[in-house]
Amino acid sequence: MTKPKKLYFEDFAPGKVWEIDGPALTKAEIVEFASRFDPQYFHVDEVAARDSPFGGLVASGWHTVGVCMRLICDAYLGQSASLGSPGVNEIRWTRPVRPGDRLKLRMTVVEAKPSRSKPDRGTVLHRWEVFNQHGELVMHMEGLGMFLRRPDGRQP
Amino acid sequence: MTRYYFEDFTPGWTFENGPRTLTAPEIVAFAREWDPQTYHTDEAKARASPYGGLIASGWQTGVVAMRLMCDGYLLDTSCVGSPGIDELRFLKPVRPGDALRFRSTVLEAAASRTKPNRGTVTFRWEVINQDGEVALSMIGRQLFLRRPAQSDR
Repeated sequence: MTKPKKLYFEDFAPGKVWEIDGPALTKAEIVEFASRFDPQYFHVDEVAARDSPFGGLVASGWHTVGVCMRLICDAYLGQSASLGSPGVNEIRWTRPVRPGDRLKLRMTVVEAKPSRSKPDRGTVLHRWEVFNQHGELVMHMEGLGMFLRRPDGRQP
Repeated sequence: MTRYYFEDFTPGWTFENGPRTLTAPEIVAFAREWDPQTYHTDEAKARASPYGGLIASGWQTGVVAMRLMCDGYLLDTSCVGSPGIDELRFLKPVRPGDALRFRSTVLEAAASRTKPNRGTVTFRWEVINQDGEVALSMIGRQLFLRRPAQSDR
């Protein structure tokens, strides 16, 4: 088996898109995640959630982020020269994610800037868009990632 | 039980709690599940990384803040969700054994124009380590129901 090609800063050109199919979130997963990290009643208590403005159980927004982060790691970040992230400019939870909703992630490179002070790396701005099975946008965010530049200096 | 409503979150309101300490096995277990990058999951590879050792996923630090917020006050409020977060910054690596505190400060509170029973509160949420350094900072918005009228109490 050949080793997958390693991705460097130069591989994240503006306009590049990854479409990644995600899992359907089960009720048990939604409750389990929220019980650990975000135990608000509309994430953990199906009965009480019915009387909430959501009208039923909804996933923690952090759960949606975690599912997407994992999809990205498995799709390409794990084989990239990633140096971590300085942060995220915005996260918007535009629609509730409910039990059974199947998520789909679209990652788009918005901007790629070589570092001025460190010539071996650059920062990439990604737009994350998460859709449900009806094609409705449930979350979007703009995240920054730092990547090493290709050691041979060549373009991909 | 709901004790705090929209009206209780006025600019300057602040709350602090903790600490929560993440162990190396907790950092690795979280990252294996949600963010399997080697500087979060593999102690030896992390030593050779620019971080010089294992560090927590930024998302783990984020949910430490979320859980401390829930345990500290949020579950006693009329919170009905969040439209989003801005300016999330991972400012310092979080390492095993770091004692993390959570601080919440109200920046702004605005009653809804369209829905008279609620309002949006804008907070600065910070995670602070044992050296007093801000490891994570974000601006979060949450919706809170307004306090019911006296006659309804």
